[in-house]
Amino acid sequence: MSGHEPAIMPPGNYYLTGNEALAEGAIAAGCRFYAGYPITPSSEIMERMAARLDEIDGGVFMQMEDEIASICAVIGAVWAGARGMTATSGPGFSLMQEAIGYAAITETPLVIADIQRAGPGTGQATKVGGGDLMQAKWGSHGDYTPIAMCPWSVQEMYDLTIRAFNLAETWRVPVFVMGEEAVGHLKEGLTVDAPPAVINHREEKGATPFGHELPDGVPPMPAFGEGEKLLITGSTHDHRGFRKTDDPAVQAQLTGRINDKIMNHRDEIVDTEAHAVDDADIVVVACGFTARSVLYAIETLRTEGLKVGLLRLKTIWPFPDDIIRTVCGSGRKILVPEMNRGQMAGEVMKYAGGDVIPLNRTDGRIIHPHLIMETIRGIA
Amino acid sequence: MLEQIRLCGFGGQGVVLAGTLLGHAATSAGFRVAGANAYGAQARGGAAIAEVVIANAEIVFPHVITADLLVCYSQTGYDRFAAEVGGTHPRIFYDSLLVKPAPAGETVAQFGIPATDEALRQLGGKQAANIILLAAAVARTALIGRLHLATAIAEHGGARFRETNLKALDIGFRLGAAAAPEPGPA
Amino acid sequence: MARDLNRYLRPGVSTTPFCPGCGHGILMNIILRAIDELRLNLDDMLFVSGIGCAAWIPSPNFNADTLHTLHGRAIAFATGAKAFNPQLKTMVISGDGDLASIGGNHLIHAARRDTDLTVICANNMIYGMTGGQAAPTTPAGAISATTGGGNPWAPFDLCRLVIGAGAGYAARFAVTQPLELKEAIKEVLGFTGFGFIEVLSPCPTQYGRRNDYGAVTDMLEDLRRRCVTADEMKRLTGTERKDRILTGVLHDERNERNEMETARA
Repeated sequence: MSGHEPAIMPPGNYYLTGNEALAEGAIAAGCRFYAGYPITPSSEIMERMAARLDEIDGGVFMQMEDEIASICAVIGAVWAGARGMTATSGPGFSLMQEAIGYAAITETPLVIADIQRAGPGTGQATKVGGGDLMQAKWGSHGDYTPIAMCPWSVQEMYDLTIRAFNLAETWRVPVFVMGEEAVGHLKEGLTVDAPPAVINHREEKGATPFGHELPDGVPPMPAFGEGEKLLITGSTHDHRGFRKTDDPAVQAQLTGRINDKIMNHRDEIVDTEAHAVDDADIVVVACGFTARSVLYAIETLRTEGLKVGLLRLKTIWPFPDDIIRTVCGSGRKILVPEMNRGQMAGEVMKYAGGDVIPLNRTDGRIIHPHLIMETIRGIA
Repeated sequence: MLEQIRLCGFGGQGVVLAGTLLGHAATSAGFRVAGANAYGAQARGGAAIAEVVIANAEIVFPHVITADLLVCYSQTGYDRFAAEVGGTHPRIFYDSLLVKPAPAGETVAQFGIPATDEALRQLGGKQAANIILLAAAVARTALIGRLHLATAIAEHGGARFRETNLKALDIGFRLGAAAAPEPGPA
Repeated sequence: MARDLNRYLRPGVSTTPFCPGCGHGILMNIILRAIDELRLNLDDMLFVSGIGCAAWIPSPNFNADTLHTLHGRAIAFATGAKAFNPQLKTMVISGDGDLASIGGNHLIHAARRDTDLTVICANNMIYGMTGGQAAPTTPAGAISATTGGGNPWAPFDLCRLVIGAGAGYAARFAVTQPLELKEAIKEVLGFTGFGFIEVLSPCPTQYGRRNDYGAVTDMLEDLRRRCVTADEMKRLTGTERKDRILTGVLHDERNERNEMETARA
């Protein structure tokens, strides 16, 4: 079929879970390799990928022995030419952190979905949490800059997963889809349109895959089996891939570039959505499921005459510092509700001029609109 | 239009499936739909709750805030949720074999549906009582067309039970169409 | 390195990083010799290694696609690459600590799945790169940086481990048995499925100097004396056997060979 990848769900309206939609988004984005390990509440992604990749020519699904093996297998497959992903939840995300750093330093594009549950430790496996936001940013050792998406609906589990793959390929970086149990298990309508635009990483014969003339550039990326004699290492390496574990200049240049390639282009990556903030006395900054509670709350409170607005972060990393500076200026009160002990609030405080008021819930339940309304009435 | 529906019962009664089928039916009827489930750690026997929100515009908050419609498969579920039914047209549909209703508020219309009785009598087992009660509620409230629910049952209700479930749909629609609200309290 | 094998080396590579007396250089030579005799094209091959001295055998030295990965995870990376592109003839070369301690789980599962990989484990019975700490392959009683009073635990028999996990092929040779080792490598590269070769390779720097081996060549001499075939083992007395290491193709399902049993018979 011309211009239509038969693997993609035909255009139409579907009723499915966020986890299933995320898997479908991955398929639509061209993901053809999945390796994973079962963990609640993300397992439906794996099950859907197992079934879907089985029907697709060239699709490969692997159930690995643990989460470490899963992400490592994805990195191996990506260098063998695949678009690859894995999905997990808190404990598995913890196990993957070393390999995430490996993906960052080797500039390996891949997508990792973390369907957040109540932690720490085993916590409440079936209950919702939002406590992995800082882990997404800082989970692996050393300095690197990942990208993270925060879907708030089943539709966005699909749409933002597609975007995650395109960002991973554009910037050669690991990208996280920071879902939450409440969205992963939510059933909702999904509208599938024509096949999405799929961006591929740049390929160039004979180019150096780990160096760029610009200090914040993204080098082209060949694959195994193309005769490029790739030299890939997680150690500090020069533009050709040779280990340079004693050279301060190479270390500085590499860590500089893999961070700056993201930070210097964050205008092209950051995505936020403002609702009724222009005249707002109180701005609520939220992401994921919580932002839906907030939107419901502010729509209700507006009818009571309260001037409240919502700034929703569709991407949390890199953090939208400039937008926070603009929207959360002095004279405004800034409420930051989140299903953790203040991970995002701390970040908002770095850039906001106004008073930042955290609203934290870590009881394994969503933050209900009533709690947000009550809190806003209390600070208005 | 925003309809907030809660279905409750025990695990194993098909409560979650009933909610899912309602969601599929409403989706194919062109509505915006959101559904969420809650159930105990055990697959059978614990409390099972399914929520479905159906609207003709974008659904901002996807959970039930106040149920307009309660579909009740167990006494425990009834006791827990009957008093919370509200909105402009509050209605409760319950399985008359399994639930002894309490007097409801003046505005609440209650319908006892012999779903399990009729399933045992006409279908030779109680498995499809979930469809009978759901279909009765859908028929009586004119929430969505029968064809959409039939399609949802055929496509998403499991091949093994398709014939039985479609018969249950017919039974439920007949019971729902004939159902009259019980008189409220004094 | 034999001169005629230089064409398999990545341009820009001039010296190996290995210490005097280390067996890994010999192993590197034997692997390339096997590839050369099979007339394999390095462009069709992928070499995956973990962390440690042995991981530096292919990376950066081999002029092929090389993936130098995380500590312990070489087999997991290789599994993904091979699964997505089955055309890649994939060889994992890493050390005993890497493959059998931190990476032990991946090793047994690759054996169980019969993943089409050639896994060469360079076993020097010690953590060399980090300074001579005990490994799960360190002999009982041996002195290491973390077992000053002698290692209290028994080592893994790596071949028995992977055979138990379902490997269809497992062989053990020392670098002092280059011809037999080369033939085993060629054999594994010739079939589809999981093939495991344990290569005993001395580490005079970290193991030898702590365990009363005087000259760097003493460990080679010791391996030459102790490594025996199953037939040789059978002819030895019980006391003599204790000191010996059984080598050979210990298990080969395809050809119904099982030297483990022969040695015990």
